[in-house]
Amino acid sequence: MVALARKTLVYEWRRYLPASLAVAFSGMLLLVQLALVFGIFDSAAVYINASRGQIWVGYPGTQSIDLGRSIPRDAQMRLLMNPQVAQVEPFQWVNGDWRGSRQLGSVSVFVSGIDPAPDGLVFARAIPPALRARLEEPGAIIVDRADLPKLGIQVGQSGILNGQRVYLVGTTSGLRALGGVNIVTSLATAEQLNVGGDPRPAYYVARLRDPARAAVVAAQLDPHDRQRRYAVWSASTLAARTIHYWLFETGAGLGVVFMSLVVFLVGTVITSQTLMGAVAGSISEYATLNALGASHGALSRVVMEQAGWVGVAGLLGGGVLSAMVLLLAHSQDVPVGITVAGVTACAVLVMGITLFSGMLAVRTLRNADPARLLR
Amino acid sequence: MVEHVAIRGRGIGKSFTVGKVSTRVIDELSVDVASGELTLLSGPSGCGKSTLLAILSGLERPDAGSVEALGEQVWLLDRKALQRFRLHHIGFVFQGFNLFPALNSVEQVELPLSYLGLGAEETRRRAWAALDEVGLAHRRHMRPAELSGGEKQRVAIARALAKRPQLLFADEPTSALDSVSGQTVIDILHRAARVHGTMVLCASHDPRLIAHADRVLRMEDGRVLADEHHPHPPMGAHTTS
Repeated sequence: MVALARKTLVYEWRRYLPASLAVAFSGMLLLVQLALVFGIFDSAAVYINASRGQIWVGYPGTQSIDLGRSIPRDAQMRLLMNPQVAQVEPFQWVNGDWRGSRQLGSVSVFVSGIDPAPDGLVFARAIPPALRARLEEPGAIIVDRADLPKLGIQVGQSGILNGQRVYLVGTTSGLRALGGVNIVTSLATAEQLNVGGDPRPAYYVARLRDPARAAVVAAQLDPHDRQRRYAVWSASTLAARTIHYWLFETGAGLGVVFMSLVVFLVGTVITSQTLMGAVAGSISEYATLNALGASHGALSRVVMEQAGWVGVAGLLGGGVLSAMVLLLAHSQDVPVGITVAGVTACAVLVMGITLFSGMLAVRTLRNADPARLLR
Repeated sequence: MVEHVAIRGRGIGKSFTVGKVSTRVIDELSVDVASGELTLLSGPSGCGKSTLLAILSGLERPDAGSVEALGEQVWLLDRKALQRFRLHHIGFVFQGFNLFPALNSVEQVELPLSYLGLGAEETRRRAWAALDEVGLAHRRHMRPAELSGGEKQRVAIARALAKRPQLLFADEPTSALDSVSGQTVIDILHRAARVHGTMVLCASHDPRLIAHADRVLRMEDGRVLADEHHPHPPMGAHTTS
């Protein structure tokens, strides 16, 4: 079988380049917007994802981790009584008001009170043990280095948080918050900063002996009671709840869908026009083949195969473009999140663009009427 | 003699309507075309020769009349059956060579063969033989851009011949060619009729062709005015117009 579709693509690549570029840029736009949205909303769940525990205990019905309320201390006992649980640690959440230099005014901040022990669970992935140990000093804080300009201080300097003086002992990365600044302190410092607030922690975090059993153990530990005063989730469930809440609370989810539609439309218009032009340019050749007995179905398959290859080339190009943009974003501390499901969804959408365009181009083949060659 | 008649057209009529003006292009025309001969439809442009060619070859449906090709009533076949009939029995050569720019000569010829469901080896063998027959064995791996006009037309003829059609239709095959190339093309078409017993029906206003045709049908205003047999060894043909 003569590989007409592929040979034509290779020989007349300039003709098909716009289609492949349209597909590549569509793919990049889809993936980058998805990565940005997931990156931004991932930071809403940074407390969970940067920590090592598999079980989170918090106020029943909490939709997003930043909406936590204090829970009774006996939850900790209940956790420790379960033989699956290896370690339990409180996590304190305090809303704060930061005053750095006079020019910057006040900044709304989220204070996370964590256990500064070297084997502490919360933020274990974001704060190395040596830095973590420095939180033992009263009034010591750690922030993301990207937040320094907002707070207006450098490491070693101090600022006023909820009316009390605190000292920046170090910075790290991967702690950026959504709609404010994350400030990490020890539980003791957080207690002092929690002026007039409920002294009980908002969450307990537990590490299991077998991390794979998180969902099962969470179900076992949850009181399942209408009057329960706390609820138990696996870390991934709470993270998903949080991201879901932000996606829809902010309307960003709808934005993603809308943008995807626009990208799909633009990609399809450019790709189909290019393919139609290519078919129209070879219409006499297709008509001759039809005169010689090749069916319209066979000719349509040639066009669809071309669309498929344009899509594959576009996917590869889009993949390279996306990787470059996302690496650039990452190097600039712009939060980006890529999931296999996200990449797959983008790839499917992009192939959808090309195949839909191919179908539109196939309609141009109706002009391949061999009788016209004799007029 | 009757067994040599490949195509029998009876009472063929065709009009084209542009806006409100309807033009009668073919008028009550009946014609038989024989196998093993090069038959030439000649006449001024607009005389209806290309339209007649399209109707006899199963590309353009007539308003009236019938076409029997190889014993089959062509215009009673549905679209798919007609396509299949063309695939198995009919070859075409057009004025524009209509070669795919991306394919070399062998691939141009192999392409329609691939729809016949022949094996890869048989396809290749037939393609090489057809190119050999038109004297282009040495141009096998060249693309259209590297070939002259005459060579392109010879590739197009090889593409039509490789299917081994019983019926070969050619529309102005020499009009775009210089005299030497045109002569070569005529010789190839003539040889195809003689050697393979193919019916070759050629529409052309090129006067050079007349001397080489076994039979010339002179057309004007949608009718056959004259039916001339040339002193080549005849194999039988009639018009009943």
